Amino acid sequence: MSLFDNFMLGLAVVSNLEAIMALIIGVAVGVVAGAIPGMSATMAVALALPFTFSMQPITGILMLLGVYKGGIFGGSIPAILIKTPGTPASSATVLDGHPMAERGEAGRALTMALYASCTADLISNLALILFAGWLASFALSFGPPEFFTLILFSLTIIAGVSGESLLKGIVSASLGLLLATVGLDLVYGTARFNFGDPNLMGGLNFIAVLIGLFAIPEILSMVWNPHGHEGKVRTLGRKGASFADYKRCFKSIIRGSFIGVILGSIPGIGAAPSAFLSYSEARRKSPNRENFGKGEIEGVAAAEAGNNGVAGATLIPLLALGIPGDVITAIIIGAFMIHGLQPGPLMFVMNADIVYGLFMGLIVSSIALFFIGGAAIRVFKYVADIPRGILFPLVLVLCVYGCFAVNNSMFDVGVMFAMGWVGFLMLQYGVPAAPFLIAFILGPLLEDNFRQAMLMSGSSPAILFRSWITWFFWGLSALTVIAVIRGGMKARADQKLGSSGGM
Amino acid sequence: MKTLIKCLAATLALGAPYAAADADYPKRPVAMVIPYGPGGATDISACTIAEPLGNAVGGTLVMVNKTGAGGATGSVSVQNAKPDGYTMLFARVGSHSVSPAMKATLPYTLDDFRFVGVYEINPLACAVQADSDIKSIDDLITAVNAGGVTYSSSGVGSFPHISGAMILKEFGVEKPLEAVTHIPLKGGGAAATAVLNGTATFICTNSSALAGYVANGQMRPLLVTTAEPVTGFDAPTSADLDKPALAQLVGWTGIAGPDDLPDDIAAKWGDWLATATANEEFVEKMEARGSVIRLMDPAESKEFIEGQYETFRKLVDELGMRIEG
Repeated sequence: MSLFDNFMLGLAVVSNLEAIMALIIGVAVGVVAGAIPGMSATMAVALALPFTFSMQPITGILMLLGVYKGGIFGGSIPAILIKTPGTPASSATVLDGHPMAERGEAGRALTMALYASCTADLISNLALILFAGWLASFALSFGPPEFFTLILFSLTIIAGVSGESLLKGIVSASLGLLLATVGLDLVYGTARFNFGDPNLMGGLNFIAVLIGLFAIPEILSMVWNPHGHEGKVRTLGRKGASFADYKRCFKSIIRGSFIGVILGSIPGIGAAPSAFLSYSEARRKSPNRENFGKGEIEGVAAAEAGNNGVAGATLIPLLALGIPGDVITAIIIGAFMIHGLQPGPLMFVMNADIVYGLFMGLIVSSIALFFIGGAAIRVFKYVADIPRGILFPLVLVLCVYGCFAVNNSMFDVGVMFAMGWVGFLMLQYGVPAAPFLIAFILGPLLEDNFRQAMLMSGSSPAILFRSWITWFFWGLSALTVIAVIRGGMKARADQKLGSSGGM
Repeated sequence: MKTLIKCLAATLALGAPYAAADADYPKRPVAMVIPYGPGGATDISACTIAEPLGNAVGGTLVMVNKTGAGGATGSVSVQNAKPDGYTMLFARVGSHSVSPAMKATLPYTLDDFRFVGVYEINPLACAVQADSDIKSIDDLITAVNAGGVTYSSSGVGSFPHISGAMILKEFGVEKPLEAVTHIPLKGGGAAATAVLNGTATFICTNSSALAGYVANGQMRPLLVTTAEPVTGFDAPTSADLDKPALAQLVGWTGIAGPDDLPDDIAAKWGDWLATATANEEFVEKMEARGSVIRLMDPAESKEFIEGQYETFRKLVDELGMRIEG
């Protein structure tokens, strides 16, 4: 059967009202759920799962994929409006999206987030349809040594999101690495830094740390200095992003989409590192580098392209190999199995109609996201107009509820408040929060993969150079570190020149 | 909004004053703690039984995922809950026979729980990559003796961790932990992937976790531990291999409450499980995923779990696998 026949077969499966409606409802539910702080895309998919049991397989799976995609975009709404990432993947969007909202450009930031998300989503879906086989075999060549070098390279992002002072960025990252060590040791299974409390055995809850670090310090600042914001413009700004904005950011969006596709097709990384990597690459390449972190629209575009670029690509290992790449696809694979479908190479032969139906549905989902996301922005944007005295208590309630709901644990709420004070102190002393978060996400991956590699090789470091992929990432890491050092030396020389010139 | 209602219900259930067991139990929603994340074997099993079990109970069951520390976080929350029957646990082989046997500092023991019934058995299978030279368990043992063999698991103290060691020992490898290298990964999905991408040589885990890879020709099964063959697995059983001791090496899911759960409530749960597991649709769904529905009454459940725990504990002592500190 030719590819064309397969697509026609797929079209036949999808082109019924039920499937399209399920997809649209899924995207809408995802956007709303993603927009609620603490209610991550993962939770939304998990909650939607039981509703799909009674549906046709394709309908149910499309609905879950809709929730997933909608959720990843929806997370950017509170990230921009109230400095609280709705899902971990949208943490990078906070960096420039929130300063834009503070400047009265929330509308522009939100529409750019939507355009970037939809573009990346489409590219990701096309990559899945056209290159699934090739990318899947690439993903299988990623063992622990390759992972280790990739993560090591990703840690250089810290230099890109440290803002004014690299030293403060490194302090922040070290703190993140330290807190990431709490929990059970991977290789020995012994408890680390749990102080005898079983609640700490599983480590610190990621969502609790995330909300604590971003949202709570804002609220504490407000309590500390209730009138500090007066006189600042903080309205929506009726203007959306213009086509000129989109054109200017286009390169970053495409770059971010490809980063998302590659990281998404490798099982076990997820959307947050991809968003940060895309953001730091955009900053490195942009002529407006100085403006990043202060409300640069290109930063919003890059971050959103990075996280939505992952969404289609995570289906590559799922469909081609039957491997769930992250928690969300692990839930979706459950949905396949409940309908008696076994994702994997054979599915392309046995259930070609379903596979190609999914492909067609995914393309439709990018379009649905564009319209539903646009509608959501029109509704949610009024949040920017709510006076802080009313908005902040509401945000606090949502944060507590969202944090509790992740694991139904009051302990997590305590972690959130404790991290809130840490974040507040960091804010007071100008220590950036983003390096902390990156280190907290990547630290455990770095450690686990290093130790797995050492187990594989019997503690010989030679395994860290075993393939061209490892050499490639070693090279990239070295280049980035050299670039950072040279940039620092140049800045220092300029400073000297400037001060001696002034004398 | 559904979550909001769910969570409110859960909060109410936990927060309401202690009510003594009586004839019209349950009067309010029962929180059912799933100690593992969404999409895992325990979660899917729990969500599948939720409907028939809810009908049998005649009240609302609120499914609550409490993830972390290999099932310990969720288990501890039920251990410390009021024994009023409004907080129950989906206990699993990992959290309630492997972990207690291996982890010296686990904050609970088997005596902290009252098991009201085991309802599901999962056969265990060992598999290697499909293009591996290892074609049978004998080939594997030869390879192990030659050295350089690794096996993956979903973490230290997990079911696949102890299973790999037990099977090698059963087939005559005296010191399995020195002969092969154990590579712990985070989660069952990652553990299977490690075999597919060559990080590890073999894996021993629930057949349902491997069924997809075996059906797709990506993995080759070497054995299953049940006495009866498992659908889709063209591999010798423990009976074929004449290793009856391996029949004990199976996964299971059951329901437990805190240890001082009143007798009448425990008895009610036993009856409800019997009704739920008689539901044909439920059985069909579970069997399609490779599970065997086998209901044990409370006494039998306790005996079965303790028997498995003892076997594992002996093995852990012999091999020096205990996790201290």
